[in-house]
Amino acid sequence: MSAFLQATVYGLLQGGLLALVAVGFSLVWGVMNVVNLAHGSFVIMGAYLGWELQVHAGIDPLLGMFAAAAVMFVLGYAIQRWLINLVVNAPIFITLLLTFGLSLLIVQGMNIIFSANYRSISTGYASTSLSMGSVRVPLGRLIAFGIAVLVTVALVALVNRTRIGLAILATGMDRGAARLMGIPARHVYSLTFGLSAALAAIAGTMVGTVDTFSPAAAGSFTLLSFVIAVLGGLGNMYGALLGGLLIGLVESWAGLYLSGTWVNAMAFLVLVVVLVVRPSGLVGRAYYAARVEV
Amino acid sequence: MLEVSGASAGYGRVQVLWDIELRVDEREIVSLVGPNGAGKTTLLRVLSGMVPVSSGTVTFRGDLVNGRSVEQVVELGISHVPEGRRLFPGLSVRDNLRLGGWRGKHTDLEPVLELFPGLTTRLDQVAGSMSGGEQQMCAIARGLMSRPELMMIDELSLGLAPVVVDEIIERLPDIAASGTSVLLVEQDVDAALRVAARAYVLETGRIALSGKAQDLLTDQRVQESYLGLG
Repeated sequence: MSAFLQATVYGLLQGGLLALVAVGFSLVWGVMNVVNLAHGSFVIMGAYLGWELQVHAGIDPLLGMFAAAAVMFVLGYAIQRWLINLVVNAPIFITLLLTFGLSLLIVQGMNIIFSANYRSISTGYASTSLSMGSVRVPLGRLIAFGIAVLVTVALVALVNRTRIGLAILATGMDRGAARLMGIPARHVYSLTFGLSAALAAIAGTMVGTVDTFSPAAAGSFTLLSFVIAVLGGLGNMYGALLGGLLIGLVESWAGLYLSGTWVNAMAFLVLVVVLVVRPSGLVGRAYYAARVEV
Repeated sequence: MLEVSGASAGYGRVQVLWDIELRVDEREIVSLVGPNGAGKTTLLRVLSGMVPVSSGTVTFRGDLVNGRSVEQVVELGISHVPEGRRLFPGLSVRDNLRLGGWRGKHTDLEPVLELFPGLTTRLDQVAGSMSGGEQQMCAIARGLMSRPELMMIDELSLGLAPVVVDEIIERLPDIAASGTSVLLVEQDVDAALRVAARAYVLETGRIALSGKAQDLLTDQRVQESYLGLG
């Protein structure tokens, strides 16, 4: 029983982090209908930025993640503005190819600059644990989980409560109509992509503090983002949070009872089951159901 | 105020409009009528920057409209209520109206609610769940939120019951009187000509007839082709 409790706590903590990895991916897909296959490489870039800042400037990752987020926001904005916007009207295969190519470029670039070795951002608190009865709660993971939830809630508030957030929603629903309101769609798209990259950077820095990372992990983060975004419901931020928690729990529980490769299979089994029962994902896609393409 | 002179336009190699001459003055309602496929919607798209002209010019208060992006045309004070209304279906009426006021950050809903009091009780309702007539009112109200000097309405009556169409068209003179000229594209030629001061008849991409709406109502060609009379 205590092993199960331990796995549950660990799964929830891991799930929060996965949600943060996926939420930006889901945002971009929901708003722009772009499946960003470079998302995982943004996560890893964020991790390296956090690592560099800590190793060379002695900046704690809890502060460094903001710097990493700022850098990735600018990069993400530029990538959308001058690259993806050029093909955003093209069939989805073109954006898939473009972001896939981008991902290869970034991953190989990181291999050259940082080598393919595993690294991690070591902090004093990452290895500390809190004890709650028989359950051990690693402090580093608890902090990462807290940040993941806070950032997701902040993102929802930004999208639902602010002027620019409303513009992002509107542009996602009907870009042509949004432009007729005077909303600069290209700028809004770039902001959205920048925001997504910034979220990936925060997620990456957090991943770096609780786990090891290397450029090769980019692909698996993209895949996880994909699963979680679809599971939760496209473009729905709370859906991504829910999906992340579910995947974290399932993988953790599966790790308790099953061996090796079966653990990975469980995440996809859950995806298949949820999609059979609720094709629009856990939270649905009501906002974007009536998307109009121009 | 709006001057279109010698404008031609089309999509790619397909030319849709030839040598269009059209003018809208201040506080004026002008109707643009004609059969399906005549190019009415394309003309509005030219005026709002969605479709470029291949020759000729479009000016608004002396500023050149052609060559500007859709967003920049909104800045000039031209608002376009598109065919099919194109509300943001998942957002509330309030949010739709707020988005209409994006340019110039207008957030005061009072003036448009005065014009369409029926929307007052619908503010928190999701726009996509309203009736067609309410959606059209919301679309026009949204178009007015930016306090435009010219509003273009495409197919106001599309999919609406005649009594609802009359109710909405009755509001147009108030809109014009408050300082927003209206360029109305409409299939319901009778209603369109009754509300307008002047009108243009567009046929196969060319202005076939133009003049005072009153005169066009009694014009034999218009009566035969569009009013089912004669």
